This record gives sequence, structure tokens and C-alpha cells, in this order.
Amino acid sequence: MRSQVINLTVNGTERELLAKPGTTLLGALRDGLGLTAAKRGCAQGGCGACTVVVNGAAVPSCLIPVEVADGATVETLEGMASGQHLTPLQQAFVDGFATQCGFCTSGMLMSASALLAENPAPTRDEVAVAISGNVCRCTGYAAIIDAILDAADRTRAVGSAAAD
Amino acid sequence: MLRQVLLPADVGAAVSTLAGDPTAVLVAGGTLVMPAVNTTVTPIETLVSTRDLGLAGVAVERGIARVGAATTLTALGNHPDLGFLRPTVASFASPIIRNLATVGGNLFASQPYGDLAVALLALDATAEIAGPDGPREAPVSEVLEQRVRPGEIVAAVRFALPAAGTWRWTKAMRRRLNSAAIVAVAAVVETDGGVVSAARIALGGAGSRPVRARAVEAALLGKPLDEASVTAAASLALSEAEPFSDAYASAWYRGRVLPVHIRRALLGA
Repeated sequence: MRSQVINLTVNGTERELLAKPGTTLLGALRDGLGLTAAKRGCAQGGCGACTVVVNGAAVPSCLIPVEVADGATVETLEGMASGQHLTPLQQAFVDGFATQCGFCTSGMLMSASALLAENPAPTRDEVAVAISGNVCRCTGYAAIIDAILDAADRTRAVGSAAAD
Repeated sequence: MLRQVLLPADVGAAVSTLAGDPTAVLVAGGTLVMPAVNTTVTPIETLVSTRDLGLAGVAVERGIARVGAATTLTALGNHPDLGFLRPTVASFASPIIRNLATVGGNLFASQPYGDLAVALLALDATAEIAGPDGPREAPVSEVLEQRVRPGEIVAAVRFALPAAGTWRWTKAMRRRLNSAAIVAVAAVVETDGGVVSAARIALGGAGSRPVRARAVEAALLGKPLDEASVTAAASLALSEAEPFSDAYASAWYRGRVLPVHIRRALLGA
């Protein structure tokens, strides 16, 4: 039962940590690196609260043994804002009251950011599909979907203003 | 208790480890193994990761698809040459799970999980297996019934692309998105001169593993693909199915709706 040195590029910064066998990527982020935005919910991949983006794909980090993620590029919610400056997606969540208790929010934001990176103009149904692995037990889905669509509009508006 | 996570660099090394260590388990996407590791006391001491085995990827040549076992469901559903499977794969779990879950792993899920195994059974897929005694091939139906021998790894599955318009898939769910199957029906149905000339129908939610509905298939042969003959044939499904109760549906309900969803799969109504 030997711990292993793991290297991850987390939010653009190379990080190194020591992990015992059985440590998940989620455990490494939270307990090893102190990045607690990804939440420990069901530990079975069923709730999406631990969603992070690994090598460009939104995934539940509780299902990945951290050794398997060695060398990966990981994006967490901590890396989304630059300083106090929220992204349009985060601002849309704030403005649209798209959080209730907040436990699902970081996972929702990571799934939404992966969606918008791939599909900047999603339909309402595409947004619903994208967050279908993220459970909101306050059942605030309508506001969350509205906020993601709003974020897509805001990003396009910024893009077209820049093009002008 | 987990003692090590290994990332062998090739299939041979993975097979030797699995063959020599009864506490070792192969892990690909982790959607089956990791819930057990995270939340239960398991006899698993060694995880052998597929990450570096080179088993991911889809190749379609001359009408035959070869899909590496570590191909994710997302990659499978997005492949341009497998368009017929796109809506089918979209009904499996959620995008974040499809980004991890693999084609090979689906063969080892217990129903009502492992929707892709139902589809592969209807496609009459063949599994390419690596093992301590060298490579072998087996029908996916056999892998679903007997699993694989100690030390063996499913490396890929192969299937012939169904002719245009012959693929059918219906999955009854409690929710529209991200829900396990109440029942799932996969089928390849060919017609010639207005009557069914060939049919392969596989059922999910109708037993602990996906099963072929052979009585339904036989009853359809030579009949027109219409409501009367499909309804009559679908009524035979229960003779081969063993619907079960779980949090999604009772055995009674599964049995009650199975013929309905066979009809919907085959006729779209």
C-alpha cells in the first residue's frame, strides 16, 4: 500500500501531490490540493456534484482513481473566474438566481462550461441534456437552464461587440 | 481494501497481472468499479487501468465496425460512420457518465444498466478477447452469459453495420433523461417484398442480462411488419423474459409494458 506521486495540471498550474491507493481525483482535489469547489455527493457518479473538466470533458471526479488521472489537465470551478471578475456564465447564474442551496452549483457550472465550449449556441433541450447528470435536489432546474442560455447570449453579445 | 492502482503499458502486462492476482479488477471508465470501491467493503486490492492499453478507437471498414473496448460512449455516439447509433447512445445515462463509461464495460453491467450491451446483442456483435492463453473471439451473447475467464480482457467488439432503416431502439425510462431502463428494446429488422426476412431483437430490463427475444423473432419471419403481426409476435416476449423488480419498476410492470415497447420499437407507434 504505497502512496504515489501524482502530477496534474490544475487550472493551468502544474501541481504535485502524494496519493494513497483508493484516492479519487475528487479526493485529491479536495483533500490534497484544498480545492473544495467540487463537492463530495454520492461517490457513485450519480449526482454530478463533483463534476470537473478533465482533458476537455466534463466528468464526475469521484469515479476516477487519481493514478489514472496522472498527467491530466483538470479544470475546476476555482479556475473559472479571473480574480474577482466572474465569467458570463457565473454572472448569469448570479443574476438569474440559479443557485438555491448551492451544493450542485459548481458541478452545474462545469458541465455548462464544457457544453458552451463545444456548442456556444445551445438549444434549451441541449442545455437540459448537458446537465442531465447533475442533480439539483432543490429542483431549481428551470433557473439553471435559463442562466446557461443567458450566458450563451451574453457571450455571443460580447463576441459580436468585439467583432464590431 | 485497495492496495494499488496499476497502469500497464500493454495488454499482455494487464493480462498477466489479472491472471496472477484474484483480487485484481480491470477498470476502464470506472462507472461500475468505482462506486463499489468508494462506498462498499470490496475484495478488490488491485485496480488495473485500461488507460495505456491502446484499446480506444472506432474503425469502420467495408461495412464492419470495430470498436475498441475502452472507447467511451461519447466517442461511440459521436462517430460519423455510426450515425444510426447516435440517438441510441444519447438515451444512455448522462453526458458526464458517457464521457467515462466504455463499450467494453457495458458488457459487464447488470441490467437495467448496460444499455449498450442490449444494442450489441441485437447487432450480433463479436467480442475480441485477449487472455493468458492468447487471443480468442466469442459472440457478445456468450460474453453476456458466461462473462470472460480469469485474466481475460475484452479488447474490442465488432459488428456489421445494419442496412439503412433496419435499426430500432426504444428505451422506456422513468424520466426523459438520465434514467436506467424500465425496459429497452434493440432490433435489426429486415424486410423483403413487404414481409420480415430477418429479425434480431434484444431486450433489456427483461432479466439480469440482456436477452434475445427469439420467439418474437421467429413469429415475425414471413409476416408483414404491421400492427397485427407485431402485436401478436410481441405477446410472446414474456415466454423468454424474466422481468425483475427494482427502484425503477416492478417485475409486473416491466412484463406488462414489454410487448408495448417491442411494438413501439418495431413500428414507431
